[in-house]
Amino acid sequence: MSVIFSAAVISCTAASLAVSADEPYDVYNYDRWGEAIPSQAGYISERAVTGNDLGIGHFNEPQDIFRDFNNIFYIADMGNNRVVAVNSDFDEVIKIYDSFKMPDGSTTTLKKPMGIFVSEQTGWLYIADSENSRVLISDLDGNVISEITKPTSEVFDQTKTFLPQRVIADKAGNVYIVLGNITTGAAMFNPDGEFMGFYGANRVEATAEIVGNYLKNLFTSETKKAHKARNIPTGITSFDIEGDFIFTCTSSTTQTTDTVKKLNSAGNNIFANKELAFGDYTPMYDSNTNTSYATKICDIDIADDGNINCLDFTTGRIFQYDEDCNLLFITGTIAKQQVGGFNQVAALESMGANLYVLDMMKNTVTIFTETSFGEIVHEAAAYYNAGQYEKALEPWYEVLRRDGNYRRAYIGVASALLNAGDYEGAMKYAKLADAPAIYNKAFEGYRMDFLDEHFTEIIIVLILLIIALVILSRHFKKKRLAREAAEIAERDERRKNAGKEEQAT
Amino acid sequence: MMDLTQKQWVKHTVMHPFEGFEDLRWKKGGSLKIAFLIVFLLFVAQLAYNRLYGFQFYVSYDKTFSIIPYIVQSIVVFATWVVGNWAVCTLLDGEGTMKKICIYSAYALIPYIAQIYINVFLSHFLIRDEYVFMQAIEIIGTLWSVVLIFSAIKAVHQYTFGQTVFAILLTIAAMLIILFLLVLMLSLIQQVWVFISSIYTEISYRVRV
Repeated sequence: MSVIFSAAVISCTAASLAVSADEPYDVYNYDRWGEAIPSQAGYISERAVTGNDLGIGHFNEPQDIFRDFNNIFYIADMGNNRVVAVNSDFDEVIKIYDSFKMPDGSTTTLKKPMGIFVSEQTGWLYIADSENSRVLISDLDGNVISEITKPTSEVFDQTKTFLPQRVIADKAGNVYIVLGNITTGAAMFNPDGEFMGFYGANRVEATAEIVGNYLKNLFTSETKKAHKARNIPTGITSFDIEGDFIFTCTSSTTQTTDTVKKLNSAGNNIFANKELAFGDYTPMYDSNTNTSYATKICDIDIADDGNINCLDFTTGRIFQYDEDCNLLFITGTIAKQQVGGFNQVAALESMGANLYVLDMMKNTVTIFTETSFGEIVHEAAAYYNAGQYEKALEPWYEVLRRDGNYRRAYIGVASALLNAGDYEGAMKYAKLADAPAIYNKAFEGYRMDFLDEHFTEIIIVLILLIIALVILSRHFKKKRLAREAAEIAERDERRKNAGKEEQAT
Repeated sequence: MMDLTQKQWVKHTVMHPFEGFEDLRWKKGGSLKIAFLIVFLLFVAQLAYNRLYGFQFYVSYDKTFSIIPYIVQSIVVFATWVVGNWAVCTLLDGEGTMKKICIYSAYALIPYIAQIYINVFLSHFLIRDEYVFMQAIEIIGTLWSVVLIFSAIKAVHQYTFGQTVFAILLTIAAMLIILFLLVLMLSLIQQVWVFISSIYTEISYRVRV
């Protein structure tokens, strides 16, 4: 911690102009055209906690991290076959769950637990115990309440193993399980542990290949079709629950639809028709190693203030969106040796202004905390999304003083000024934000005001113009008539002369 | 009859879509200077359309600017049209010379160009809800120009209706071929240039050593 701090001080004095000089990467954001531009950091890495720091031996490929309603963090430490509960300051282990007492008195142990969830309503632990092919439900003292195992229903493909990876439960006690080998959505169980069906499957993206296959299939016989590979969307990778909505993410480098979804209780995607893009717009391409760093969102977390944090496996970046899916910040990078950089990210969690990222190769939890810039942006965005544009105005101005590239701030200021009736100001900021829709509204108001104010002048100018036109046209008409008369006279003259000449000859 | 000045001919042809160009041909009117001016105005109109449009309707990408696409969109396309039409219609017993095709086609473009200027002007006074007016102007101007181009080609080559349709379709095909060859030639020249310049660099290094 002190090392980081002193490094930060040195780099700040050495290059006070550099953007976020103390993070091992260049902080960027996207502008209206989807081009990356330098930006201020919204989060800064504070420290990385290992298992050793907590006095419980190193973590071994931890897979999931979850914060419960008491701000206790649970880490699914897969390689060590245990679940660790840590306090919110990450300096004290509260409990290590490695064996559980079954209702019949026998003990049971975990085998590669990959997901962990604690229900707010019941206070029960839900553990996705992958190698044991079950989801274990237990109370906080380690007494097993029930187990969910592979359903016997016909809907469930019996040839596949039951491989739970992530688990959540909703308010009513329904349990949703992401299965590693199932692409048709999360398996859904009712509070009694009965299989109800699948929930929230992804759509197949209409790429050229898919459309081509569809056309081909129109002319293919049934038997041939049965032997062909079908078009299957990528399955859900992880999810988080917030109120009545379940947010899912899908880690796929090829798929761009449905990578992040907001599902209501009926399983309908609220984001479906919004044409949203998550992660990097244009994947970075490294020609030396022939790899494309396309975003693979491997975990999603909804913060207390409704912001959506997406964790990108490929680049180790956290993309933070507000509840309307506007990009706020991009944080983190792949950097194996540095704090704030990752090797292979596994999961993320948030608490207040902090982000907690689990790295399964470094076996650490990295804690990010909000910068003062991040705080202002979050405040402004919260006001803005609540419709309190005036209240958001001052924080947005402050954001612009710190980062003149921050497009959301221009939109915020333009909306606030538009609401307050300052149309000219709104037009100016809408132009800076490249937001034609806001500009359109502001211009409508501006035009109305202008007409109201200058109505008499406009009418006077119009009348004067009409009078001038009438006078001018009369003048020209006279001239033309005179010219035509002269021409006719000339012609008659010529004819007369011609007649005379004829007579003369 | 019809002793019109060059300026009056412009007005006459535009306002009389069906016999205007026949009259122009009969009286041997039309000026190449005015035709060039019209094409230049088309070029300016393309620029204005992309750069000076009202912000509420169109956000232009201001980070970089290149004049080449605008030249291609207006002047090059018009030149290919003229050359393509001349090439095709010479083979199809057309009576028009290249100069005449150029003049007549340019005159026929006037409503289209005027429509762009009017819309660029209006776009600074209207809001999105009133876009329908601009759309109406755009459609009228474009259709008017299409009719004029048709009758211009018909008049300049003394074709029947069917022949004109056929000639125009062939002209469009010829334009595509010409543009394709142009692109091909440009890339070839570029490669030759790269080849020569690399030989020059090689030799200059050797000579120095």
